Amino acid sequence: MRVLVVEDSARLQRSLGTALRKSGYAVDLAGDGEEGLWLAESHEYDVIILDIMLPKRDGLSVLTTLREHGKTTHVLLLTARDTVPDRVKGLRAGADDYLIKPFDLEELLARVQSLCRRAYGSKQAVIKVSDMEIDTLGRRVKRGRYPIDLTAREYLLLEYLARRRGQVVTRAEIEEHIYDGQVDPMSNVVDSAICSVRKKLAVAGDEPLIHTRRGLGYALDQAVEAPAT
Amino acid sequence: MISIQRQLTREMLVTFLVLLSGVMAALYFAARDELIEQFDDALRAKVLAISSLTSNDGSRIQVDVSDHFFRSFSRADAEDYFEIWTMTGEAVVRSDSLAGADLPRPDRPGRPRRVRLPNGHNGRALLLKYSPSQEIGEHSGNETKPQLLLVVASDSEALAEALTELLSIGAVSGVLLAGAMLWVIPRVLKRGMQPLAQLGEQAAGIDANSLTTRFPVSGLAAELQPIVSRLNELLARLEVSFERERRFSADLAHELRTPLAELRSLAECSIKWPESREAGADQEVLAVAMQMQTIVTNLLMLARAEQQQATGPLVPVDLRLLVEDAWQSYCTRAEERGLKVRWELAPAIIPADAGLLRSIVGNLFENAADYAPVGGDVLVRLEQSEAGVILRVANRAEGLEPADVAKLFDRFWRKEEARTGGRHFGLGLPLARMFAQAMGWTLTATMDEQRQLEFTLTGPQTAEQA
Repeated sequence: MRVLVVEDSARLQRSLGTALRKSGYAVDLAGDGEEGLWLAESHEYDVIILDIMLPKRDGLSVLTTLREHGKTTHVLLLTARDTVPDRVKGLRAGADDYLIKPFDLEELLARVQSLCRRAYGSKQAVIKVSDMEIDTLGRRVKRGRYPIDLTAREYLLLEYLARRRGQVVTRAEIEEHIYDGQVDPMSNVVDSAICSVRKKLAVAGDEPLIHTRRGLGYALDQAVEAPAT
Repeated sequence: MISIQRQLTREMLVTFLVLLSGVMAALYFAARDELIEQFDDALRAKVLAISSLTSNDGSRIQVDVSDHFFRSFSRADAEDYFEIWTMTGEAVVRSDSLAGADLPRPDRPGRPRRVRLPNGHNGRALLLKYSPSQEIGEHSGNETKPQLLLVVASDSEALAEALTELLSIGAVSGVLLAGAMLWVIPRVLKRGMQPLAQLGEQAAGIDANSLTTRFPVSGLAAELQPIVSRLNELLARLEVSFERERRFSADLAHELRTPLAELRSLAECSIKWPESREAGADQEVLAVAMQMQTIVTNLLMLARAEQQQATGPLVPVDLRLLVEDAWQSYCTRAEERGLKVRWELAPAIIPADAGLLRSIVGNLFENAADYAPVGGDVLVRLEQSEAGVILRVANRAEGLEPADVAKLFDRFWRKEEARTGGRHFGLGLPLARMFAQAMGWTLTATMDEQRQLEFTLTGPQTAEQA
């Protein structure tokens, strides 16, 4: 899952970046409204964390412009403005959630996670594919009775594929959602990660769950046909 | 608790009852006197009639009775009585109604007296001493006329009954009237006090969130208008005071939320992922704490200045010396940024609070040192004019638009680019202006088309001028 943080406080940017990355998100950071808008329009983020008082262009203006341009990315407003009219104004401008500074880091992560789930039209915390179970709250994966030990990035990849279960997901989409701007777009990080996840899943069950659609991408589902690989 | 309405009700009722009793008593006695007077007049008329009908034929005294007139003297009716005595005390004539009994005889003639009649009733009697008329031709003219005593009495039981009835009517009317007043007075008073009660209700509805409320003065009773006007003035003062406090709290809360969020997230990250803790984390924490301390200190000073509590005693201050001294804190920063300062300082000794003045000048210098373009000029001019002493600090301000000048003295206003620096919180200039006002000075800012920003601090005349 890829998250954009638009926040003018450098300290808060660093803390949020650390917390989100440690929680397995790909994170991009922007320090002002113009940069935030540019990033939000040029990438597919799952969630945008947006401060209201920003240099160059304020957060509400960024949000309104995004919505006018048809961007439906979930936006969490993070602001020091705590009055009810401020909240109402933010939500009316098209925000999906509103969090007041200072905030609880765990709460922020839970809200980001909740917005990610909503981004894929699901409220379920547990995704089941064949004998595999993904607990999105605990960020744990189990196949049969065996827990699967995944890195944060591998977990995100698996959860992203599971949320789009049955659909073909392109490499570009995976890169867009799982990797932030720090990853070289020419690298084969996606293939490597898929390979690694497959291996870990194969330890606990024979049935292949991640299928390659040649020239298109990958799909996660039960084996209804002979795997292409 | 004293209730005006209850007190007025009580006093009005007592007053009314006293007045009512007085009026009733006066009416009763007037009516009684009038009735007795009429009774006595009738008695006198009867005395006059009987005396004029008394004749003396020399041997016998007789009263020429008329059935019509004397019916009330008859035995059957027995309402009136008369008896005639000779001066020797011999009863010569008595009315049938006496049935042979004697009338009690009043001591003196002239005024009717109360007597006890032979039938046991109360009555009034009038005594007359007179000489009856002589039968013509029977007596010679020089014969002395015999003197007689006539007493006419009337039964006054009917009069007493009428008076008792009058008393009863008066008493019942009085009680009814008192009852009516007991019902009416509190209601009338309550109605009269209605505007006061409404005022009380309106006042009860006012709290810290509705201080913009004002009591309507028009249409109010003349007695209440001065009270309501004073209440409105009080509300206006409270509103200004509360608004100042509310704005202070809101501004403070808003400005402290971001550094607090920074501190909290720094700490939470360090606790949750200790390995991610950066080497300079403690310096970061200290910097955030210092930033919050500066904000709180400045805001408190601002709040005190707004309440006019900031000024100390005004003493003669050498402004030129103070300006030169204040620059020392900013000259390093100015040198780093290659600023060239042009000094035009006239000597000026003025009455001022040196601490506040230094703070004002320091703020102006800090802005110039931080915001003048790198390598730019800063002009500091101290001059005297008719109006007083004027200190000007001018430099180009590339980041500001002429429209921004009006906002420079708003609390927490910063041009966006300046907001993230962490050194300026938009409190310095409002504080400087507030300090200037507290001393009776003025601080203004102007910007020309070349974006030359000039702050003008104007004080009173110097000690020499004065």
